[in-house]
Amino acid sequence: MEAHPRPAARTGAGQPRISGTRRTLLLGGAAIAGNTALAARLWQLQVVESDTYRVQAAQNRARTRPIQPLRGLIFDRNREPLVANAPVFSVWLRPGDLPPEREGPVLANLAVLSGERLEDLQFKLNQARTTPDTPARLARAVPRESALTIEERRHDLPGIIVRTGTRREYAHGDVFGHILGFTGPIPAEEVEGYRRQGVRFDEDIGLAGVERSLQTQLRGRDGEQRLEADAFGRTLNELSFRPPQVGQHAVLTIALNEQKAIREILARHLALRDRGAGAAVVLRPDSGDVVAMVSLPDYDSNIFTRGASSESFALLVSDPRRPLINHAISGLYPPGSTYKVIAASGALEAGVVLPQSKIHCGGRLILPSGWAFDDWLPQGHGLVDLERAIAESCNIYFYNVSGGNPYTRLQGLGNRRLAEFERSFGFGERTGIDLPGEASGLVPTSEWKNKNLQQPWVTGDTYHAAIGQGLVQVTPLQIASMYAAIGNGGRVMRPRLIDRMLDQHGNVAERTAPRVRSVLPISDDHLRLLQSGLYRAVNEPSGTGPRARSSHTVVAGKTGTAEYSGLRDAEGRLPSHAWFAGYAPAEQPQYAFAVLVRDGGEGSFAAAPIARDIVDYLMTGDMPPLPQERPDFISPDQRL
Amino acid sequence: MLLRLARIEWAIVVSTIALVAFGVLMLSTTADPGANGLQNQAVQKAILGAVGLGFAFAMAQIDYRALHGVAVPLYLAGVLALVMVLLVGDFDLGARRWFEVGSIVIQPSEFMKVAAVVAFAKYLADRRGSTQSFRTVMVSLGLMLIPAGLIFLQPDLGTALIFGAIWIAMVFVAGARWWHLLMPVAIALAAFPFAWFFAQDYMRQRFVTFLDPSSDPLGAGYNVLQARISIGSGSWFGHGLGQGSQSQLEFLRVRDTDFIFAMLGEQLGLAGTVGLLAFFTLLIVQALVIGLRARDMFGRLLAVGIAAMIFTQSFVNIGMNVGLMPVTGITLPLVSLGKNSLLVTLLSVGILLSIHAHRGAAPFRQQSMHVVRGSLPAAGPRGGLGR
Repeated sequence: MEAHPRPAARTGAGQPRISGTRRTLLLGGAAIAGNTALAARLWQLQVVESDTYRVQAAQNRARTRPIQPLRGLIFDRNREPLVANAPVFSVWLRPGDLPPEREGPVLANLAVLSGERLEDLQFKLNQARTTPDTPARLARAVPRESALTIEERRHDLPGIIVRTGTRREYAHGDVFGHILGFTGPIPAEEVEGYRRQGVRFDEDIGLAGVERSLQTQLRGRDGEQRLEADAFGRTLNELSFRPPQVGQHAVLTIALNEQKAIREILARHLALRDRGAGAAVVLRPDSGDVVAMVSLPDYDSNIFTRGASSESFALLVSDPRRPLINHAISGLYPPGSTYKVIAASGALEAGVVLPQSKIHCGGRLILPSGWAFDDWLPQGHGLVDLERAIAESCNIYFYNVSGGNPYTRLQGLGNRRLAEFERSFGFGERTGIDLPGEASGLVPTSEWKNKNLQQPWVTGDTYHAAIGQGLVQVTPLQIASMYAAIGNGGRVMRPRLIDRMLDQHGNVAERTAPRVRSVLPISDDHLRLLQSGLYRAVNEPSGTGPRARSSHTVVAGKTGTAEYSGLRDAEGRLPSHAWFAGYAPAEQPQYAFAVLVRDGGEGSFAAAPIARDIVDYLMTGDMPPLPQERPDFISPDQRL
Repeated sequence: MLLRLARIEWAIVVSTIALVAFGVLMLSTTADPGANGLQNQAVQKAILGAVGLGFAFAMAQIDYRALHGVAVPLYLAGVLALVMVLLVGDFDLGARRWFEVGSIVIQPSEFMKVAAVVAFAKYLADRRGSTQSFRTVMVSLGLMLIPAGLIFLQPDLGTALIFGAIWIAMVFVAGARWWHLLMPVAIALAAFPFAWFFAQDYMRQRFVTFLDPSSDPLGAGYNVLQARISIGSGSWFGHGLGQGSQSQLEFLRVRDTDFIFAMLGEQLGLAGTVGLLAFFTLLIVQALVIGLRARDMFGRLLAVGIAAMIFTQSFVNIGMNVGLMPVTGITLPLVSLGKNSLLVTLLSVGILLSIHAHRGAAPFRQQSMHVVRGSLPAAGPRGGLGR
């Protein structure tokens, strides 16, 4: 081994050879191999996989902060702002920072400073205690002075945070409550859904009305600020900034003055009754534009965003008339006689009757099974043709043409075909108005009755459906839409509430075009017969709707008295909702309307005068006289 | 004097200076901007490096064989210091590893490394003829286990293991039989399942983290992962001195000591890391060459021990930075912040220079005794060496 001395050994020539040369060289080789392995690994990290690590390093240092845009505004048809974003100071509490033993004095102080009730604060704090690190809002909106005072006394108020933000302030919150709706905190069960749309959990979102249906457009899109942050989360520089996309502004088809006046008209008439409730919808027949939409009693949008006092809120919630619900689109009622035009048009189109065919009305129709079906006029209307049947609202005529008559062998339209015509007028489905919570109503069929009530369909059901009683359920908006279609020549329009969306500079971002939902399957001649019947209902002495006659224009329309199950009166009559629906002017309709007085009794007395006042106002722009100042005024009490 | 300097092994000096310079450069990029002059860690390191290098040159003038005489007291003093530090050392971060004397921190385990190298070299060189005997191996193992065990108790497992590595390298070169060396390794491997069973949770955690750092990115694996990101993002030439978000924004922790290599990787890229690796390789290879050229076994073993000391530390530290080794808390010799380590390593370099400078010096008195004693079996062509 050492016979051939290594260089190392040679340097020590003349000295004793020393051992371990080979093994030392081996160690050297091992060291070089080890370091070569490290170098290979470095190649892998710094060349082969470098891109991956660069991305990770970039993610490490960047913190993104969303910049919330200002919520878009809502204007009336004439660009009158209906809502503003008001600066607001809210008071928050991080429960973990408030020692329990200081709770009492801090809350007491805060109650004085914020004007909130101590019990409310205590309640909110108790709820917030479950998540000690998440700030909870104690007061939505405190006055500026109070906010400054709270801020100054922060040292006495551990855990209390004052934040600035904006609050929706509705310029005519009382008039537009049901239309605009309001904003508020996201309901717990919807937080996840909104989070996926990029909405923060503590944001206010639209909870009702247009605020809700246009939530996405009104909100806009978050901007983003990317900040460079160190390992401890301290931010250093701005890396990039993308400004938020400000929410779009909405322009309604409704004009403030008209909405306000029509609400006032309805309110005046309802005020004559104890706990009166009702709804009125006015549309433009040609475009489907909503001119006014009122549901009374209603609410002021501002109480939700200002923070309603517990009492007023409790009052709203406990009122049996349910003022929080927009009954014009969400309330379901039997339509009564306003519905008769459907059976009429169906019978004509199906050839069940000819326009001039006369049917005898003796005031009562008794089926072989023994069931009796009455007319509203006990002595009957005699021989009536279609126009007169509409004008005088003869029930017997519509029983005959819809369900048939076993004695005269008249084949009626039948349930199935009647239901088809009901649907062609837009019933049984939502109109598609840009408002949340619209009801679709019910077009009853034998299948539906079998399935839901486990009862067979009988002729009486068809009779009832023809006169808008029994199982039929509609919304006032659907009725208004039907009369708009009759008035405009047969087009069922989608009610249009949003005229256009504007960008932040006021330019039109999106215009919502009028949309035809369907065209009535009725010939022009037959449609003219219906129109004529509606004209005569208001303008002929024998018609049911003389109280809808306007001194400024010619009104066409139909009364409705829709009985519903409830307590019968002294004479054994069921309670009823009062309807009047129609259009004006009769020749060239500019407005179509539906008026409902809930539990109002007869349509001709309770609803027709309201329609007349609305038409008078729309035609002249002047407020009509109070109902009780009219010579033909009959108070509801006298009627009863 | 010129003559003396001519005997200096310049490759060693150059690589040493280069490695210290890397460290100064890195520390200068993380120094507190408010720290001026002597407050600045980079300046401190540069000064200490210069002083240490001066010591090394001075050391080169002294015959390394003087260490032979002081090996025993040096070793005993080191062991005593280790006992003392366990008893009265400063308790910091859950361990007793150093004394604080005023503003100076003394870390006995660092000095013990050199003391142990000297002691092993003396013992093994003295027992030249019987290094193949089991007894010699076991006694030297005992010499290693005493300081290693004391350091393990601090606790500082990483440094304790460095002693094992130094010992294996030196006993190997001294001529121990393969199976004598392999046995402790085999026992250690066989004991692993039992050790795993009895190990503390944090130890197991470290091992798991080593195998897969992303298993716990915010906890135990954080440093490993951040080091890898730092190095990887450096690419070919790095982000430049003082640049690099990972180290500048302190995502990379312990960047001045354990993970200074990762900082280098981020700022200077592959060029920097491989350059540093090249200087380490040069230093280690030169140390071994000095060992090969040493005039006696004591010198050779000293050089091998020092080479092993520097190599294992750098290999374990860099291996940890690139995710090839578990996290042990071993710093990068000459480069990292530690002053004790820097001084001890430079002192070791001084010993290397001395071995080199005195490779042709007159035989040492005790050495000649060994020659007499050890030359007989080595006289034959196949005698002694390399067996």
